[in-house]
Amino acid sequence: MKWLLTLLPAFFLSISCTKKKEAAATDGSIITTIGMIANVTREIAGEQQEVINLIGEGVDPHGHKPLKSEVDRIQKAGLVFYNGLMLEGKMGSILTSRKEKGKPIFAVAEGLEGVSLIGDPAHPDPHLWMDISIWAKVATAIESHLSQFDPSKKAHYAARLSAYQESLSELQSYALMAFGTIPVDQRILVTAHDAFSYLGKAYGIEVRGIQGISTESEAGNKDINDLVTYLVEKKIPAIFVESSVPKKSVQAVIEGAAQKGHQVKIGGTLFSDAMGPAGSYEGTYIGMMDHNITTITNALGGDVPPNGFQGKLRH
Amino acid sequence: MNWTANDLHIILVGTLCALACALPGTFLLLRRMSMMGDAISHAVLPGLAIAFLISGSRASWWMFFGAAIAGVLTALFTQWITRFGKVERGAAMGIVFTTLFAIGLILIKQSADHVDLDPACVLYGALEYTPLDLVTLFETAEHLIQVPRAALVIAATLLFNILIIALFFKEFTLASFDPSLAKTQGFRPMLMHYLLMTMVAVTTVASFEAVGSIIVIAMLIVPPATAFLLTRRLPILIATSLIVAVLSALLGHLSSQALPHLLGLPETTSSGMMATATGVLFLLAWVFGPEGLMRQNSGELKKPEHLIDLDEPKALEKH
Repeated sequence: MKWLLTLLPAFFLSISCTKKKEAAATDGSIITTIGMIANVTREIAGEQQEVINLIGEGVDPHGHKPLKSEVDRIQKAGLVFYNGLMLEGKMGSILTSRKEKGKPIFAVAEGLEGVSLIGDPAHPDPHLWMDISIWAKVATAIESHLSQFDPSKKAHYAARLSAYQESLSELQSYALMAFGTIPVDQRILVTAHDAFSYLGKAYGIEVRGIQGISTESEAGNKDINDLVTYLVEKKIPAIFVESSVPKKSVQAVIEGAAQKGHQVKIGGTLFSDAMGPAGSYEGTYIGMMDHNITTITNALGGDVPPNGFQGKLRH
Repeated sequence: MNWTANDLHIILVGTLCALACALPGTFLLLRRMSMMGDAISHAVLPGLAIAFLISGSRASWWMFFGAAIAGVLTALFTQWITRFGKVERGAAMGIVFTTLFAIGLILIKQSADHVDLDPACVLYGALEYTPLDLVTLFETAEHLIQVPRAALVIAATLLFNILIIALFFKEFTLASFDPSLAKTQGFRPMLMHYLLMTMVAVTTVASFEAVGSIIVIAMLIVPPATAFLLTRRLPILIATSLIVAVLSALLGHLSSQALPHLLGLPETTSSGMMATATGVLFLLAWVFGPEGLMRQNSGELKKPEHLIDLDEPKALEKH
């Protein structure tokens, strides 16, 4: 069996040798992991700057399949923004280890001042974008990284940031106004998985998820039964499905409630881990949140125009 | 396609992984335990959950440790159930991995429901990402000599597998084909069996951590099965299996980059294509091999007498 040992030299032959200069070279591109970060970065950087987003706008980050071209892009990137808090799974841990080696990589959801994270301190909920005021802080952080990345455009970034912050604060006032129209005892949001804790905390809505926090964990029977009892007791009119999570568990809840004589309807599809299709209004952060706010409000008995605060929503 | 050092690294890691898995995979095939890799991929869940409960952390090191112990236990329990429960090995594996997986689900539900302990997130690596985690072996004034960290991990596993098999080749061979003869000759077939199972558990978990699950499960099963269509002589069987494994890794990555472009589609995952390539090579061996469809139809096939007759244990299953 000595011939097996001849395999080892084959391994050493294929070790790659890179020139130091090439290893450090970048093409000045900006890479983001998820749509919500890509959109904010584009708003601040402007159209001239190319921003490449790795996980497609309509894809749940948990279900993302890695590609070799992403590796090429991450290696050459001048600047990388990712969410952090383990949202991106394996890609996130790889980005973190590269960040620790001194590459220009930033976890935008980590280390924000004045933001208290929800959940177990060691494993907080990563869905920060559901609170517009937190995502506004993320926008500010992105701007300061961009200014360090390209100081010659500092004024340009600052101007674009303040314009964007203005739209975000309009969106924030709309959210507060809209959720305020929902009758107080109906401010209960039931969705397929726990992506809406920050939204609930920021806007005074109680949030109940059917699944645990991961999109993979299956809802137990008892969870579904407890939830059905709760829906019937509180007379909740609608529950919601999410664009990146299957409808199965939600259907089970609706059927369970119907058997107990309580009609629950599907209040609409919410954007949780993914935004709408690229190029559409719902494919922007503001559009996605406008859609969520408007859909939740109208389904739970509040009253806002169905086409949203800018009249741009299509249904 | 856009060829970079990353392609080289992906092929390197994929090839090493293919070799490290196909080697113990050959002996698994001979023992009718090919699904061991798949069983371990499910059975690691309670290991992850318990490691998390003890350490309170999802750090890779803890997850790896928990998974490795769960992997070895899967092999151990399977053997006990086969022996004392008098059930066939496939069924025993089924009993063990479904039970362990269920225990894992219950543990997570009871005590760690708020934490995402999905193996795909906390344990499995991704072959495609391995070039992002490089280790510098040495450097000169102008050049860096680097390999992916995953390549070192899997190379170490491969080396371990090669050493064990080279040391105990005679024992493994005899224990695989004729345990009772092995026993009378003082070869301790049970010890060999546990050694092989430990090899498989360590190889699969180390590879899961480095490159993900699908390529590992495929490389454990399909290259040995393909080789088995072509030859029945053990040394040639192992060699063929390793060659098929390496070819699959190479063709898999190349086709993941080039093939979709020819059809006007975006590139696809390398690990998925490597696993697909093993299937395609198996199909080719099945159709064109010495025992293949083509030969059978023309009635040329005659089973040479020196072949190891693996069909003999089937008599047991027919009842």
